[in-house]
Amino acid sequence: MPPTTSTSGKKRDKKLADVDGELCGVCQACATVCPVNAIEVTESYIKILPEKCTGCGVCVKVCPVGAIVLIDR
Amino acid sequence: MTNHIIVVGAGPAGSSAAMGALRAGAKVTIVDRKTNVGIPVQCGEAIGKTGPGVAEIEIPEESIRAPVRGFRIYSPGQVSVDYATKEPSGFIIDRRVFDKELFARATEAGADSLLGARVLDVTRSNGTIDGAVVRYNGQRQTLKAQIVIGADGVNSQIARLTGLRKAYKPDDIDSCFAYEMANCNLEVTDLMEFLLGSEVSPRGYIWIFPKGNGRANVGIGIGGGIETKTAKEYLDHFLKNHDVAKRQLNDAKVIETRVGALPVCGPNKVNVVNGALLVGDAAGQIHPITGGGMGYAMVCGSIAGRVAAESAQKETVTATNLQQYEKEWRKLYGAEFDQSLRLRELILQTEDATLDKLANIVTGESIVQLTAGKKVKIFMKAMSTGDRKLITLMQELRKLRMV
Ligand SMILES: Cc1cc2nc3c(=O)[nH]c(=O)nc-3n(C[C@H](O)[C@H](O)[C@H](O)COP(=O)(O)OP(=O)(O)OC[C@H]3O[C@@H](n4cnc5c(N)ncnc54)[C@H](O)[C@@H]3O)c2cc1C
Ligand code: SF4
Ligand code: SF4
Repeated sequence: MPPTTSTSGKKRDKKLADVDGELCGVCQACATVCPVNAIEVTESYIKILPEKCTGCGVCVKVCPVGAIVLIDR
Repeated sequence: MTNHIIVVGAGPAGSSAAMGALRAGAKVTIVDRKTNVGIPVQCGEAIGKTGPGVAEIEIPEESIRAPVRGFRIYSPGQVSVDYATKEPSGFIIDRRVFDKELFARATEAGADSLLGARVLDVTRSNGTIDGAVVRYNGQRQTLKAQIVIGADGVNSQIARLTGLRKAYKPDDIDSCFAYEMANCNLEVTDLMEFLLGSEVSPRGYIWIFPKGNGRANVGIGIGGGIETKTAKEYLDHFLKNHDVAKRQLNDAKVIETRVGALPVCGPNKVNVVNGALLVGDAAGQIHPITGGGMGYAMVCGSIAGRVAAESAQKETVTATNLQQYEKEWRKLYGAEFDQSLRLRELILQTEDATLDKLANIVTGESIVQLTAGKKVKIFMKAMSTGDRKLITLMQELRKLRMV
């Protein structure tokens, strides 16, 4: 798959963070380290905004339960 | 919107800020994205009665589960160091009751509340923040105020929107996982137990806090950058294999699981801008070694609320005026946080074997002093061991004027 282009015209990675909602306990660790604030936190779940996520993978490192993985876009 | 303050976040920082502002005569609205304040619990639930400023905070009685008198620390090689006061010096509480009660009291004292409202943005006029945009009932709404207090926790959006904080680096935070357990067979029921070591909990610690009636809060915080295993995997491994766990938690049953994130890199450099200020986890007001934050959040919260109310009354809500808040809270805790951060760096560089040797020569009392940023007398004792690495550590501590 070719790299997608965001509205700002910036080239993004082919990867995207993906959360397993059943494992996630909404601790927000991932959101606090996301360099582009691509993780929205609500009362009961988190949402990764695909249009913002650069696929950098920092969020994957900090999750206490391993609920986030990088997937192909 | 004269004299009106919006507090974002109904945790200990937010409810205390609301109280502080109400007492100083302001009109307050507390906004939280949660519909159930205090849930889920993401905490070790330990709070001290002592410490600068803490005497004035009110710990709701109905939240207290067990009094504690001190701690037992296990070094990596299981050398244990105890510290205990005669009378209880703190409590293990039930966080869901604690947060709810503080929030209820703030509303009873006159605060309005808007639950289920998530803050998305702030509004500004002439560069001064004058409100917040929330998503409430599926719709965007703008709430106007003279001052916005960001008490919105570790992932503070107010901190990001005001530019007071960028994303944390993984090692700036601890990644936490905990169980509430029943049927525990604790060896001490009025001490908090801590276990250190690169094997059990790299860059962090494991805690076992007694909650009374055979219940305990058992958890772990590891450095956010640790990639060998997840926090949960480290804790599960400990429970299955470690002597200290086997002795006390062999028959224990899990009654709740918890996750959490904890900034351990010290407070933000600046916590005020025109029209807004940050408090609690949003400000990074967490002890870099113990990870304790509730007491600081409450004390700093009431200062923040009062200063905000006074500034709003005088209609001078510039960063310069709100600076009074920074001045007051840093006077109480600034030095303690700074020294602890340096001590933390040193401990993180120290090998497990040297920590064992240190455990052999320190008393519980000196650990209390050190983590409070105060000087202790262990230099000569360390020198007399003749251990090269321990002596190097002491020389580093001496440079920091800690021994
Ligand atoms: C695993 C773990 C163990 C801990 N153990 C201890 C301990 O034993 N003792 C201790 O003293 N401290 C402990 N701490 C630290 C302590 O939990 C925090 O310091 C404390 O909760 C800080 O309070 P706060 O009010 O600043 O933030 P919080 O309690 O996090 O409250 C923030 C509030 O803001 C709301 N919010 C967030 N974003 C928005 C938004 N955009 N819009 C609306 N509302 C929003 C949230 O819903 C929440 O209610 C621990 C932390 C963790 C993670
Ligand atoms: S992969 Fe990077 S950009 Fe995407 S959500 Fe995770 S931290 Fe953010
Ligand atoms: S770090 Fe893991 S558990 Fe925590 S909010 Fe992110 S996905 Fe959920």
